[in-house]
Amino acid sequence: MNFEVPSLSLPFYGSAFPILFLVVTSIVALLLGVSKLNTPKVNYGLNLFAIIVALGSAVYQYAISGGAGEIYLSGGFTAGLLGFWGQGLILFCAMVVSILLGDSYMSPKFFRGEIVSLFHMVLAGMLTMVATDDLVTLFVGLEMASIGVYALIGYTRPTKLSQEGAIKYFVLGSIAAAILLFGFAFLYAAAGSLRISEISRAIGKVSGHSWIELGAILTIAGLSFKMALVPFHMWTPDAYEGAPTGLTAFMATAMKVMIVVATIRLCENGLDGVHGVWLSTLSLMAAASLLFANVMALAQQSVKRMLAYSSIAHSGYMALALSAMSGAGGGMSVPSILFYLIAYVAVSLGTFAIIMWLENERCENVIVDDLTGLAKQHPRAAVALAVFMFSLGGMPPTVGFISKLYVFNAALSNGLIGLVVIAALGSTISLYYYMRIIVRMFMLDSTPVLGALIKPKKSLATVGIVFVSVLIVILLGTVFPEPVMQIARKTAGEVTGG
Amino acid sequence: MGSSLLGLLAGLHVWYWFDGSSAALQFVESYEWIPSLGIKYIVGIDGFSLLLVVLTTFLLPLVLLSQWSDSEEPSQRPFLALLMALQSGMIGALVAMDLVFFYVFWEAMLIPMYFIIGVWGGKRRIYAATKFVLYTVLGSLLMLAAAIVLYLAHFRQTGVYSTSLLDLYSVKLPIDAQMWMFGAFAVAFAIKVPMWPFHTWLPDAHVEAPTVGSVILAGVLLKMGTYGLLRFAVPMFPDAMVQFAPVLIFCGVVGIIYGALTAWVQQDAKKMVAYSSVSHLGFVVIGTFAVMAGGELSVEALSGATYQMINHGISTGALFFLVGVIYERRHTRMLADFGGLAKNMPWFATILIIATLSSVGLPGTGGFVGEFLILNGVFQASPIAGMLASLGVLLGAVYMLTLCRKILFGPLDNPENKELSDLSAKEFGYLVPLAVLAIVMGIFPNSFMDKTKPSIERLAKSYKSYSLDYRMGRDMGHQSAN
Repeated sequence: MNFEVPSLSLPFYGSAFPILFLVVTSIVALLLGVSKLNTPKVNYGLNLFAIIVALGSAVYQYAISGGAGEIYLSGGFTAGLLGFWGQGLILFCAMVVSILLGDSYMSPKFFRGEIVSLFHMVLAGMLTMVATDDLVTLFVGLEMASIGVYALIGYTRPTKLSQEGAIKYFVLGSIAAAILLFGFAFLYAAAGSLRISEISRAIGKVSGHSWIELGAILTIAGLSFKMALVPFHMWTPDAYEGAPTGLTAFMATAMKVMIVVATIRLCENGLDGVHGVWLSTLSLMAAASLLFANVMALAQQSVKRMLAYSSIAHSGYMALALSAMSGAGGGMSVPSILFYLIAYVAVSLGTFAIIMWLENERCENVIVDDLTGLAKQHPRAAVALAVFMFSLGGMPPTVGFISKLYVFNAALSNGLIGLVVIAALGSTISLYYYMRIIVRMFMLDSTPVLGALIKPKKSLATVGIVFVSVLIVILLGTVFPEPVMQIARKTAGEVTGG
Repeated sequence: MGSSLLGLLAGLHVWYWFDGSSAALQFVESYEWIPSLGIKYIVGIDGFSLLLVVLTTFLLPLVLLSQWSDSEEPSQRPFLALLMALQSGMIGALVAMDLVFFYVFWEAMLIPMYFIIGVWGGKRRIYAATKFVLYTVLGSLLMLAAAIVLYLAHFRQTGVYSTSLLDLYSVKLPIDAQMWMFGAFAVAFAIKVPMWPFHTWLPDAHVEAPTVGSVILAGVLLKMGTYGLLRFAVPMFPDAMVQFAPVLIFCGVVGIIYGALTAWVQQDAKKMVAYSSVSHLGFVVIGTFAVMAGGELSVEALSGATYQMINHGISTGALFFLVGVIYERRHTRMLADFGGLAKNMPWFATILIIATLSSVGLPGTGGFVGEFLILNGVFQASPIAGMLASLGVLLGAVYMLTLCRKILFGPLDNPENKELSDLSAKEFGYLVPLAVLAIVMGIFPNSFMDKTKPSIERLAKSYKSYSLDYRMGRDMGHQSAN
């Protein structure tokens, strides 16, 4: 590697603006924390302002960017469509989560200077990770995001449950990071470069090199941990349950977008040459996630734990699509994952918004039985939650169905019939636990447990978020899937070269 | 109510302008939906869907009338909204001429039915509703996988992405691939029919559903399964169909006899009618798969099957309504609690007997025409199946007449039954049209069958190289009107 002094131009500052801006606001928030201005209101305003500016900038960059973009810092930062797409989606999730947190009982605890600062560091790390061609930068971004999130889980809500979740996530996450780094080391040793695209070229020359294969397997294992694929999923239920719900929503959406986008880039651009080695592993993990997570979710009482297993299962669908990336129908694979991510993010944010709204009075985890009779107390919330549940279960006419259709289509174009049958089984099982929630809300008559206790405060922002999510879920499922698919295709073009 | 009548008018309008002399798709409209996957919005009607669409639009106003009440119950509004959603789902599935578009409606129908059973149903409603959805979804997802395989095969053969039926009928597949895919489609539809041995959800769903839910379930929803077999499974995988036909006929015959025997021993009137559905739909299934010696499908059996679908919708719909009538008065459906009702409820008795006779297949009612045609066709294809199925007709008479006898005749000794009043004007309103139609369909079958005949003949003769041409039937209709 030659370390030339990078010549940083105005376009670089333009395309890296979201990251740089968040680093700056992170420092500002830290300074505000020791000043007299350290009130939740000010911090909330600063946080939202910074995220919206960064989001606007990422969207603008996406709009003006064409295909595979410029590469800066010898691979450290790539200004391509996929990167901006990931950044935009992550920032969108962060924005929604911030608004929801502002409405929740967590608001005074979360909007403190040091926590907002940490949050922006996390975001900067995530944005870096989705837009880099360099393994070390990727790792640094991942660790910035992960370490920050461990701290956020344990620090913002000091209860036994959340600390257990944070510690578990931290210990296991560190091991996974070590495995990932180990894999990177092998890749570097074999290929002589840390650039993802150059590793890909080197693989062509040294095919059959066992270090490359070992490196690829270890890398995939490390990434699967963060994606929460079975058997690397153990941390997920505890971390999801322990974290304050706002952060659970953040982990389920933004963290997932980050890791999936980075995985797509690594698999498509870097390790495609040795896909014979890791593709079958990935399919196996996808199948295991689809079956195991859906079965485990059946037994959960806590709604957040159930959603954690559901999130593992949804990772399984994305891994299923990813296992179809090489071969005849490979062109379908990445767009279908990106579409799936959009669908999953919209549904998850809506679901967590409702759960946070319900939690506000009790300040503790909602269990499935708490939802009994919700339809009588709050019919609109119940209908919205039912729409989300049907979408998670993949029933038309919601976006959940279209995204599943797209994933199945990608998988079947590569002849993965067995996997699709397993996915179909998993979907049927999953429908059962999603319907359990609907049954409790609409069909059980016993005295409402939570519904009667709670008079959640009316909050325009939460209502708006839920309403928009329902709208997205229905509209993308019926009238407008096509434009979003076009965007997914265009974005995928950066890594698939289409 | 108003909108359902508009729907009926639209249904009759379609009926009137439908060109009965042609097998082509009519009233076709086509738009792009998801062009990048070749998924289109195509709707059209041919002889198979026509009668079912009209039946659907005919049943909904009756169902709504039965729900008519002066009291402003708060739960009434969502219920009606769900009925409307169900209606649009059913019609959408019947007219969709694009596989994915069909699938969307096919699955979307489940949601309103799920709530209708689950929220307004009986004691074990949640169990029944959940079972209903899970059964159907498992079958459907496998069908979806098979559909995607078919779509990809079409792409490999022609280089065009399309899910339109007009294109997919032309796909030629090797026989072993056909077997798997036919299996996936057939299981999905067999669950919906429901064909033995996939029928176990039906009695639960029927017994727990509110009366209206049962009527729609029996009247139209079950027909989606047999319609799907005719529309998709047979013409898409013709060679596999020929291979599978004996199995399906066997299942159909077992269903007929098993359903009849089980119905016979039921103590609950609604359960009895539910099992009779299993038996009756067995007839439709064997009618669909009567492969003649020359490899052609029997035209008679097919027309019988399509006719029997409609007839079953009307007679069983009426039976469920009637069971609902006595349940509303007595809050029990046990046969042992009744007896002698003919004495103080003569009108109720009259309509029950008409519905029963139509269900049994007495000459002069619609049931006779359908069953006779089916048996006629099946005898030519497989005499043994025909004989066993005829046994089913006999058993049908036994259990249905048992139902009548236990409810209507005998001594009126239960004091509670003496107080029961005869049908109200509202009940007349929704029962009489059904009873009249049951008889009209028996006396003038041709006026119904003429319109379906070309489609049936075409499927029967050329299902191996089946294709759908289409034209804008509506324009022709307007021209002839001028």
